[in-house]
Formats: sequence, C-alpha cells, structure tokens
Amino acid sequence: MTLPINNGNEGGPPGIGVSIPRADAYMKVSGREKYASDYYGEDLVWCGVKRAGVPHVVIGEIHTRAASETPGVLAVLTHSDVRGTNRQGVLQKDQPVLADDKARHCGDAVALVIAEDRHSLNKALDLVSFDYELLPGVFDAEEALEEGAPILHENHPQGNLLLSGEYRTGAGASAMAECDVVVEGSFRTPRQEHAYLETEAGWAQVQDDGRLFIVCSTQTPFRDRSEVAEALGLDLHDVRIKAPYPGGAFGGKDGVTVQTLLGLAALNSGGRPVRMQWDREESFLAGTKRHPARLYYRLGAKRDGTLHCLDVHMVLDTGPYDHLGGVVLALGLEHAGGAYRVPHVNLKGKCVYTNNPVGGAFRGFGVPQVTAAIEQMIDMTAEKLQMDPLETRLRNAVRRGDKNSIGKTLVNSTGLRECLKALGEHPLWKSRAEWKAGAGAFKRRGAGVAALTHASGYGPVVPDVANAKVELTREGKFLIYSGVVDMGQGNATTNLQIAGSILCQPTDGMELVLPDTDRTLPSGSASASRCTYTFGNALIGAAENLKTRILQRAADLLMARSRDEIVLIPGGVRHLVSGKDLPLSVIAGFMDEAERISVHHFKAPTAPENFDAGPGIRMHGFPHTLFSYAAHLALVEVDELTGEITVCRYVAISDCGTVVNPQIYEQQIQGAVAQGIGFALCEDLVSTQGLILTQDFAGYVIPTAADVPEIDSVPVEIFEPSGPFGLKGVGEIAMNGPLPAISNAVADACGVRIFEYPMTPERVLAAIRDACKRISE
Amino acid sequence: MATEVRFKLNGNRMQMTVEDHWTLLHLLREELGLTGTKEGCGSGECGACTVVVDGLAVNSCLYLAVDVAGKDVLTIEGLAGKDGTLHPLQKSFVENGGIQCGFCTPGMILASKALLDENPRPSEAEIKHALAGNLCRCTGYVPIFASIQAVIDQGIEEVDVVVRQSESPSD
Amino acid sequence: MRKFAYLVPKTLDQAVSLHQSHGNRAMYVAGGTDVMVKVKSGKITPDYLISLKHALGSPQLRVNSDTGELHIGSLVTHRTLETSSTIKRHYPILHDAVQHIGSVQIRNVATIGGNLVNAVPSADGAIPLIALDAVAKVYAGTGERTVDLIHFFEGPGQTVLAPGEILTEIVVPKQPAPSAGAYQKYGRREAMELPLIGVGVQLSLEQGSNRCTKARIALGVAAPTPMRSLAAEHYLVGKEITEETLGEAGKLAADESRVRDSVRGLAWYRREMVEVFVKRMGMKCLERIKEMGA
Repeated sequence: MTLPINNGNEGGPPGIGVSIPRADAYMKVSGREKYASDYYGEDLVWCGVKRAGVPHVVIGEIHTRAASETPGVLAVLTHSDVRGTNRQGVLQKDQPVLADDKARHCGDAVALVIAEDRHSLNKALDLVSFDYELLPGVFDAEEALEEGAPILHENHPQGNLLLSGEYRTGAGASAMAECDVVVEGSFRTPRQEHAYLETEAGWAQVQDDGRLFIVCSTQTPFRDRSEVAEALGLDLHDVRIKAPYPGGAFGGKDGVTVQTLLGLAALNSGGRPVRMQWDREESFLAGTKRHPARLYYRLGAKRDGTLHCLDVHMVLDTGPYDHLGGVVLALGLEHAGGAYRVPHVNLKGKCVYTNNPVGGAFRGFGVPQVTAAIEQMIDMTAEKLQMDPLETRLRNAVRRGDKNSIGKTLVNSTGLRECLKALGEHPLWKSRAEWKAGAGAFKRRGAGVAALTHASGYGPVVPDVANAKVELTREGKFLIYSGVVDMGQGNATTNLQIAGSILCQPTDGMELVLPDTDRTLPSGSASASRCTYTFGNALIGAAENLKTRILQRAADLLMARSRDEIVLIPGGVRHLVSGKDLPLSVIAGFMDEAERISVHHFKAPTAPENFDAGPGIRMHGFPHTLFSYAAHLALVEVDELTGEITVCRYVAISDCGTVVNPQIYEQQIQGAVAQGIGFALCEDLVSTQGLILTQDFAGYVIPTAADVPEIDSVPVEIFEPSGPFGLKGVGEIAMNGPLPAISNAVADACGVRIFEYPMTPERVLAAIRDACKRISE
Repeated sequence: MATEVRFKLNGNRMQMTVEDHWTLLHLLREELGLTGTKEGCGSGECGACTVVVDGLAVNSCLYLAVDVAGKDVLTIEGLAGKDGTLHPLQKSFVENGGIQCGFCTPGMILASKALLDENPRPSEAEIKHALAGNLCRCTGYVPIFASIQAVIDQGIEEVDVVVRQSESPSD
Repeated sequence: MRKFAYLVPKTLDQAVSLHQSHGNRAMYVAGGTDVMVKVKSGKITPDYLISLKHALGSPQLRVNSDTGELHIGSLVTHRTLETSSTIKRHYPILHDAVQHIGSVQIRNVATIGGNLVNAVPSADGAIPLIALDAVAKVYAGTGERTVDLIHFFEGPGQTVLAPGEILTEIVVPKQPAPSAGAYQKYGRREAMELPLIGVGVQLSLEQGSNRCTKARIALGVAAPTPMRSLAAEHYLVGKEITEETLGEAGKLAADESRVRDSVRGLAWYRREMVEVFVKRMGMKCLERIKEMGA
C-alpha cells in the first residue's frame, strides 16, 4: 500500500503535526480499496432478511414453504435454525437474531433467505409470511413509562424502563431558591439517521478448517466475534472477523448489524460464500439511530452571572432494545451541565423501551442532545441578566483543578477558556454587529455561540484498553497492526505517523494491517473519541520497544559501545561514531521472530471518584476523566417570511490537545459540524406508529454540497501529558455544537427560540408568528 | 431477455451480452468485477455510483446496461494512467484531504471530472451546484471543494492533457 | 429487481403497436430515471419497457423563427434545457425550474417528456411550462392531437394520455413582449429535493409601463395536479405590478391552492409559502423585464 505521491516529506519520516496524506487515500481515489460490500467471490450466494413490518406482535407460525420452493433458493431459516442463544446486544442481550417470541419493531428480522442470486432472493423474501397476534404498541418514550403501557420485554424487571439515573451534588434542586434568576426550557431533539454511504454489508464463508470467516463493515470486530459466537452457539475461536475500512459508520456500525445473520447463512450455505448488503430502506428500517430526547431544564444563576443550580430531567427513546442506550444515557447525564462549575445539581434521566426504531451509538453519544439544552439555557440566562453570552460562559467555564457540573475534578488539560477567548478574538465574532446590520429586506441575521465538552473513553468500569503490535519483517519492513477500525476518521494514518516518527521511517517503509481478529490484537471499539488516544499510547509503547531491540542488535553487530551510538534512519540504522549504515533487512536477519514482533498494552486512566448516580450508571461509564473542549460560533440569516435558516459562516475552535495531522483533524471537525448542521436544520427520521415515513434520501434529507457553509476550524493546542504526543480525542466533540449555536443565533436574529428540532422553516415561522401575536396582544 | 452490446469501457472496446434488466452498476460491479463504482442508495439520490457516459456524469444505478451500446463509459478504474499515475483530480483529492471513508470518492471525482471537462473554470457556486447530487457524510464537503479548486487553479492546460490520455483507447 | 424485456422500436408506429400487443404489461420509457426507481422498488412491475429513444428521433430544442414558438422534443433532457442559452435568456422561468430537478446526474438523463408523463404533483418541469401556456403534442397512432398542458394532468401519476399514446413534443407559444417569468422550487435543502411547494409566475407588461397585460401563476404541490391560480391571474391583469398588488395576488393564490399536510410540510405553511413566493417571483419578473429592456 505504497503512496506514489508526496508524503509531505519525500522519503523521510512523517513528522508529528504535519498533514501527510491518508495511508488509504491512493487506494480510495483509484477505486481499488476493497470495502466489505465489495466482496463477492466464486460460487457466491446471496442472503437477505424478511423484516417484521409490524411494530409489536406475538409471532406465530412462520410460513417458509413457498419461499423455499422458489427456484434458486438454498434455504429459508428461522429462529429454530439458530443453535446458540439467538440473542445479541452490547450489554443487555435483549435483541433476537431472528425473532422467536415477538417482533418489537418493524425492522425485526423474522426469517433469513439464502439464494443463488438477488433476483430469486427478493422473490423468496416476498413469499415468506408469518401468523401473528397484534399487540398494542407504544411509540412515545414518556407514554411508555405510564401505568398500563404495553410492555416490550415481559421479563425485564422495570417494565419499559431500560435504565434510569439520578444524581445530586450540593443541595440539589433546592438551591434554586437561592438563585437571583431561574430560566426554564424543554427541548425535543430528533431521531437522527447515520446515513453512511455504505449501507450495512458483509461477506462470510465457512473455511476449509471449519471456522466461520466474516468480512464486514464494522467498528467493533472483536466484540462482534463474541456476539456472533454466543448467538450462534460457536466457540469464540471458531469465528474470525475481518474489518476492512468501512464506508462511513459514525456509531451505526458499533455493534452487530449483518454479522450474525451472515454467519448463520454461511453455516447453512454448504460451504459457499455468502453476501449480504442492506439496501437504503432496510438500513433506515433496521439500523440504529441517534436517540430522540426530551429534555426538561431549569437553570439558576446569581445576579452576577455565576451559575448556581441546575435541575435536569431527560428521557431517551431507545426503541425496542438496549443496544447502547444505557451508555448513551450515562454519557448524557454526565454532560448535562456542560463544562461549567455549578455547585448544586440535580440530574435525572431515563432510557426507555418503545416500539420505535432502535436507538444506538451515534457520534456524540447523548452529548449533542444535552448540549442542545444546556447551551441554550446559558444564553437564556445571559439574556435575562442582560449579559453577553460569551462573557457568561467565560465566567463559569471550567479550569483545570475545578470541579465540573457533576463534581468531577478536572485533572487533565482543560482548554475551554482558551477556546472561548480565541472565539472572542475571532474576526467573525468581533465584526458581528456590522455583519448583522448588512441583512437584506425581510432577512434577519444573528450570531450564536456554544461551549462544548466531550469525554473520551469508556469510563471507570469497562477497561479502555488497546494492544498494539509492531513487526519488523524478515525483509526489513515494518508492519503496523491496527487494532482499531478506521471508518474514515483517519486513525490508520495517524498510526503510521506515530510509528513512523518513532521508528524514523517514511510511510512507504511501513505497511498497515487492518483489524482482523486473527491477525491484530483486541483494542476495543472505534468509538468514544478514544481511537488515537488509547491505541496511539499502546502503539508508542510497541514502537519504542521494537526500536530498543533493533538499536541493541545493531549496536552488537556494529560493535558500538552502547545502543545510544545508534540511530534509526529510513530503511536502516546508522552508527553515529563510525558513520556506518546497516539496512533493516540485515538487522532483521539477526533477530528471531519473537524479537521482531513487539506488543504493548495500554489502559486509559480512569476517574478515581466514586459517584453514586444509581444502580448501573457507573457501570455504563459515569464519570470520565479526560475531556476535549471547544467553542463554536454560527452566523445565520433567517428569512422572516419563510422561516428559512441559512448558516452563512461557522467557526469551530477546539482544544483536542496537540494536532498530529492537521488535515485529518480539520476533516473531523468540519465533517462533524456538517452532521450537526443536519441535526439542527433538516434531519429527522419521522415515524408514526413505528412505521418510518422518511424511507430514502429524498424523504430524509442530509446536507448536500450546496448546504454547507465555509467552516473555519481553529485548533487551540494545549499539550495533554497523558495523550500520545499530547493529543486528545477529536472525533465527536464538534457534533455537539451546531444545534445550540445555530439556535442561539436564530434567537439573536429574530428574538424567538425554537425548542423542537430540527429547526425546520415551518417551526421557525410559527415561532416568529407566535412572538408577533404575543407582542400585538 | 438479453442483448448484445458494443461499447467502450475505460478505453477498451467491449462486446458482450447483457440482460435487459441489468443496470450499468450491476454490469460494472457484478459482471465485470469493477467494484470501484459504489452503490449508496440504488435510487439516484446519493451519487456514489456516478460514472461518465459520453462525457456526462450519470447515476449508473438507474442507467440500463443495454443503453451503453455505442457509448464511451469511464469509471474510476479508468481514470488513472495505466502505470498508476493519478489524474490531477485524484491527486488533488489525496493531497487536499478530499477523502475520509472514501465511499463517495469515486463518484465525487467522476462528477468533478465531468464538470471540469465541460467548464474548466467553474465558480464556487457552480461547483456546489454540480456536486449537489453527490452526498458525502464524512467531510462536510469543505476539503472536497478545496481539492477541486486546487485543480482549477493549476490551469486548464494540464487538465486537458490528462483528459486526453485517460480517454485514449488503449487497445 | 424484477426482470423485464427492453424493447427499442425504431418508429412511433412500431412503439404504439408494441404497446398495444403487450397491453398493461408494457410501459414506455425515455430517460428511465423515474421508471427505474419504481421498478427497482417494486412499485411497478412491467414485463416490457418500450424505449422511445429511437422512435422519437434525436431530441430537438428549437425556436421556429416564423411563429416564434419554442419546440421542445420530449426527449430533451433537463440538462440540455439548463445549459441552453436560449432558455436562460428568453425563458428564465424554465431555466429556474430545470436547474433544480434532481442532480446533474439525473438531469443528464431524465427528459422533459418523462417528467411530464410521470405527473407527480411536484413536477418541476410542468409548472413553468404551464405558466408559459405550453401545449403538449401527443401521438396517438391514428394521428396527432394537442393538449394544453394545464389540462394534461388528471391526478397524481395520471395524465390524459390514453394507453399507448406518446407525448412527442411540447410547444411554447411566443410570449407577448415585454414579458418574463420566474420559478421558485422551495424545499428543505438547496438541491436533490422534492419541493414543499413550487411557484411559477409569468408576467407580460404594457410597453414602457408596469401595467400587466397577461399573468400566469402556476403552482406545484399545491393540489393533486399542477394548477393555475385563475383568481390571482385575473386580479393582476390591468393592474400596475407592485409589491402590494403582487402581495394581494399571492393571497388569492394561497386561498385557491389546495395544499395538504405531508411528512415534508404542513398545509398552513405551504399555503403561506404560496403567498410569499408569488410575490417574490412576481418581483423577480419585474426585475428581469427591466434587465431585458436595459
């Protein structure tokens, strides 16, 4: 995988802080990169899923005969063909692979068909039917908690309540009485679809040795392996999962999608390779979504703008299965108060089962929802106190050593104030008054800010570990084994940059091995803004170890007094005293295999504090210890007559530690901002009675090239001592900003605030009309 | 039903029998193994399957394979030189970070190529207008515009030379 | 996807006879972008697709210099219309509309004939042509008939075309000078979008004044079929075109529209947008007439 292009430092090792092109760029621009959806092969068969199509039913007999008799059909499988537990799920194993007792949402899988080609497959899928008894459904998270609501999981002890958390600091909500001003707000955020370009896809085959081999578009190959093995009744070691670069994931491939179904099909295809690819409608129907949230906030402050008391109640709709709903709730609770010092806090949260589409991981992971609320509450407070919103934030922003809003002492780099100050100096902020004055007829302009924080890693209980492996091949090339998937965020390249920098090798002197349960080592999920932080730290250790061994062996060969006299150079080593060089291939020849492979384990630091937020909340990741920070600015124009919002300019100033690769860093910020703009303005996976009404990209609109403004990304580089080369996670934080920044800007522009999202023109226009009515009354 | 068609694919003369109901996307990916052309939605709403037919960008997922008869088809596999030398657009996407997950990239590059062949100096608005049919969920489009702009800035001449190379028949 | 046979007749007569022999198992196809989406999703299941690509001959876009009529062959693609300098200069309302249909990729293939025959309520191609008083030419096997485009549509997906009939050409009559039009497709994002509402306004003025001699106000998604607001048109004729009169016309058009709630947008909002955009497009007409005079 060599790059026949400028690597930023021709022939030399890549520097830290340099934009070297992506390691995968050449293969991707030339169309040669092989994604999971590009696997076919000799003797291929296709498999596909019959979905329930009804939101809540007891399943009776499943009629498979007509389908099995369709020419070209190899098998039609149901739950009775599954030999394992037939259950999957990241924490709670509450999701059937193939529905046995009930269907709990329209996307539940009822039968699996294997056929010679797509044509016979689709024909057969149409012929599968099943008897069912309709059950009343519940499609609203708050109604699901009411007495007498239809229950999704009869054996779940708390009815439809998946998980709840309750947490208090200081005097809790009772301190509201001590506040000079109190503002209230209730917010509703939408169900957001990941809309990665590559839908859920994979390929599987039982190999000659009897082991099941799955190639799939995933963020979590090692966890998938356990889930597949358990659900299908296989030994863990009889399953191999290989993860090529996914065509986008954003959390939607954090957990099993096609894997178990593909595995089941491969076990029943007579040894032939099997392929599955969901079409877009199926991806919308059966894939996970960002949890819709209801957020009820009260925020109290002193007259001088000092925040004093926060009272939050939030309800998340997780759909019929846990997936990662509990973890999303925990992270939402932890970030509910933003990056502020608030001495008295009362947080309550519930994650609830409904018959809606499944909630799961999505970039931001509960934080975009709560940030939408807290960052508008801050503006509402500032407005009431007639203070500047930026000044209000600066007054309360956390510093290193402070306790944040849940009382966690911030022991790592904490650059929020620096970000806010940089925003205050940004020309677009300073010139906002003139810019606003330039609005045309029937147009209003406004500026809005948001202060952001985002934790990285898994929290205090689930070990956030990575195991890096670096090999010097017999031929003198370095292999970098990536344990964490690169779904587009660029960590494969930063891995090369980190290893290359330590081993003094140009990127074309190294080769990446992508995650594969047989070849690379377990290093956790590609999620939680942890990839480069956790894996990078492990990789530094592995590369340093190997470097020491190489230098030692070279010192022996070159009869140097110590290895301090030897340095690595591209392709070899040099003895500084004699000026003599030796190629790596020669040194490798004097090392045995065990010496040439270096492995290093890293476990991310965790918070020692033991906060009691209710049973399970700590287990689900509360609290974290390392946070990134950012300050965002949106400049918007609102059409008073149509309610249409145009985001004209956007600025994202981020403290994510040192920047290892500016280009990749910027992409992460700009890409997340674009997704955030979609979340704020147009994205809403609409369903009624559990049926999705926005079934394609014409109904579910994501921003196109014509909808995204110029996005200015400014890093505030504060060295984080615990991070590899001083970096912190940058993957998610920018997702949290656009909704509140834009909503604050709209309020600044036309004096109305939107509480239900996305901010569609009709919602904005209705709010403007209501405000006019109130004034005229 | 099947029909015999002759067409040019990435400079190579092709003669083959295609089923009437095949889309061009199916022909490319599943019959010819050219998996560089991606399927993102199957209904012409994402542009991942964009290829260039007789100089025009089209969605291969909605284009019938039989309709390529007599036409000249360019896919991402045919854009670089035979020796692997990248087209200036490909090179620019690499250098300017126009790629993240890469799944929209082949379609995005071919849509850009069709644009620049027709209009070598498009304005920013024209670029956005021309690429509005190619969804990207990773980059926020900013580095994609930068990648195209860099090629425009390099000048018309250079682009013309490479265009001719990549379209010259090689058989 | 369901299998089908693809037939490519050489002449219109052959096309009609193929259609007759296969009855409702066959359908015509031109660019195929809409048909293929429906076939792939199983919404329609034809056994035969009859391509009109050869039968209709090479697509023609021309102005008859004798009559001043604009002839648009039904195979003319949206992209051809979008890039035509004649359309941009003399029929800006059509240029406004076609440049936002689908994407470049769609517009390179999709034809104006296909857009009209599909008869979706949002038909972006139809609204400006209706505002231009266009006429559809239909080949019926036994001969040719013409239909005013405003009477072409009968319901969602339904036109006056009898089974086997073929839309061959759209003819736009010469517009009285000075006149200009403007179209707004209004949706949730800039491109690749089905509109919440489509508003086309075409105005003709008295030489040297702003007095309206002819007005056409055509609306998309405002009813099950494309519609004209006769009340608004009637109101404007004889009046000075000003923000006030256009505002009033907008109100009349909004009242006349029969918008409905859908997942894309609510009726009240659509109605208001009719009002807003009738006025805005009317003002744009004025500007354009002024520019032409300049």
